[in-house]
Amino acid sequence: MSFLVGTVLLAVVTAVACALPGVFVVLRRGSMLVDAISHAVLPGIVVGYFFTHDLDSPLLILGAALAGLVVVLGSEYLGRSGLVTGDAPQGLVFPALFSVGVILVTLNFANVHLDTHAVLVGDLNLAAFDQATLAGISIGPSYLYVMLGVLLLNLTFIAACYPRLTVTSFDPLFARSLGIGVRRLDTVFMFLVSLTVTAAFHAAGAILVVALVVVPAATAHLLASRLLVMLALTVGIAAGGALAGFWLAYALDAATSAGMAVFCGLCFTLTLLGTRLDRRHRRRAARRQPLPVS
Amino acid sequence: MCPVACRTRDLSFAYGVDPVLRGVDLVVPTGVVMGIVGPNGAGKSTLIKAMLGLLRPLNGGAEFFGQPLAAVRQKVGYMPQSTTVDWDFPARVLDVVTMGTYSGLGWLRRPGRPERDRALVALEQTGIPELAGQQIGELSGGQRQRVFLARALAQAPELYFMDEPFQGIDARSQQAILGVLHRLREQGRTVVIVHHDLATVADYCDHVTLLNRRVIAAGSVAEAFTRANIREAYEVPDADDSGFLR
Repeated sequence: MSFLVGTVLLAVVTAVACALPGVFVVLRRGSMLVDAISHAVLPGIVVGYFFTHDLDSPLLILGAALAGLVVVLGSEYLGRSGLVTGDAPQGLVFPALFSVGVILVTLNFANVHLDTHAVLVGDLNLAAFDQATLAGISIGPSYLYVMLGVLLLNLTFIAACYPRLTVTSFDPLFARSLGIGVRRLDTVFMFLVSLTVTAAFHAAGAILVVALVVVPAATAHLLASRLLVMLALTVGIAAGGALAGFWLAYALDAATSAGMAVFCGLCFTLTLLGTRLDRRHRRRAARRQPLPVS
Repeated sequence: MCPVACRTRDLSFAYGVDPVLRGVDLVVPTGVVMGIVGPNGAGKSTLIKAMLGLLRPLNGGAEFFGQPLAAVRQKVGYMPQSTTVDWDFPARVLDVVTMGTYSGLGWLRRPGRPERDRALVALEQTGIPELAGQQIGELSGGQRQRVFLARALAQAPELYFMDEPFQGIDARSQQAILGVLHRLREQGRTVVIVHHDLATVADYCDHVTLLNRRVIAAGSVAEAFTRANIREAYEVPDADDSGFLR
């Protein structure tokens, strides 16, 4: 497989793997929690590197994802205590963890190869550098297979828990009254989000991974009237955004993940404008019609 | 049949250090519509949430048909206030009503034909079958309440807890919901509603519990829904009840 094709595939798979759980993240209004997770996984990555000396190691990803879960559970605990309100708990937990990570990186702990730039926006091309071979033939970047695994895991989870995920996202109180273990489901789901964010960190960095998770789903939310349609649209937008963003970055010789994020943001803005105009148009049309006689 | 659908014993609850419910003893007989009535902040919604295990009580608890909730969960339904959810959620009315059938669904199982049929029957009962395909964001307040009621009906429990089902709705929805309540009672089901409109209590309910952080009075409407009890629950001074009750 040529380097270009492999890298494009990696971009698409990473984008779709991130966007799928993004649907439920957006519906549960947890978008900024992803930001908190993506920052909090940094110390997990550095410490994980100390043990594995391999940024693509599944063990490292698993360990870092657990660090991400610390933010979720920690801020939930603080929120439940009633002492800190709103999303302040997240703001309390993740900067501390991120700072620990930054200090570890600058101290050159474990000689981890991460510079500040890569931490912020990632580097897809660098991530695609290690090529996997099968029987002597190149089968694309080995990182592609890590992200494919994550994508498969996300797909399986969503397929298996679809009714439960839907009802807990729409009406958690009602879901609990049905006897669904909402908290357990939430924890498993947030662990998966954390895992996805960690795995994508390499390609997209701490800040841009939020765009990959949130923007396609937020755009699809504007257009879809049913959840299955929203899921399908999200996958389409993520894949299309990855392709177009990759091309944009290639043409401009800029960071690939930034290109993808910019393109997705553009899609969202256009969709928002479109739906607003459409709504205004429909309201005007409705006003022009005579009132029904009742 | 067990003559008591549900009872609480010495149930207390606090948000943080602020006590909301103190030693609530409540008995709901089978086959009645019971109104939980009281002023704002009296802990009406909190009481049913604590009974259903949605909030953890400080002390005491509830049993249903003589058993703990976990043993009879299928027989107990809950209709939350419709303002607690985001109606921009991408779903049609039928999708939401079908959620009422999820309690019997195993892992990996999708709601299929039988579940959808139950949801359609429930929509029929609440008088909005024509809305099945409607996007939920386009519904009026009364329609939303009826969708939530249909979702509870689709679950087909023996005992219903409804949080303010008559809140902010039009006259037609009000009649439709009332019709459902009375039909449920005829079928021997039990309904507990949180209600705050004193003028309609006697029309809607057979039993009433006057609540203001503790139980002020409970029993049939004739016994418990008296001027003196209402005055006590609403903390109205003796001399001033002009226009308060007609």
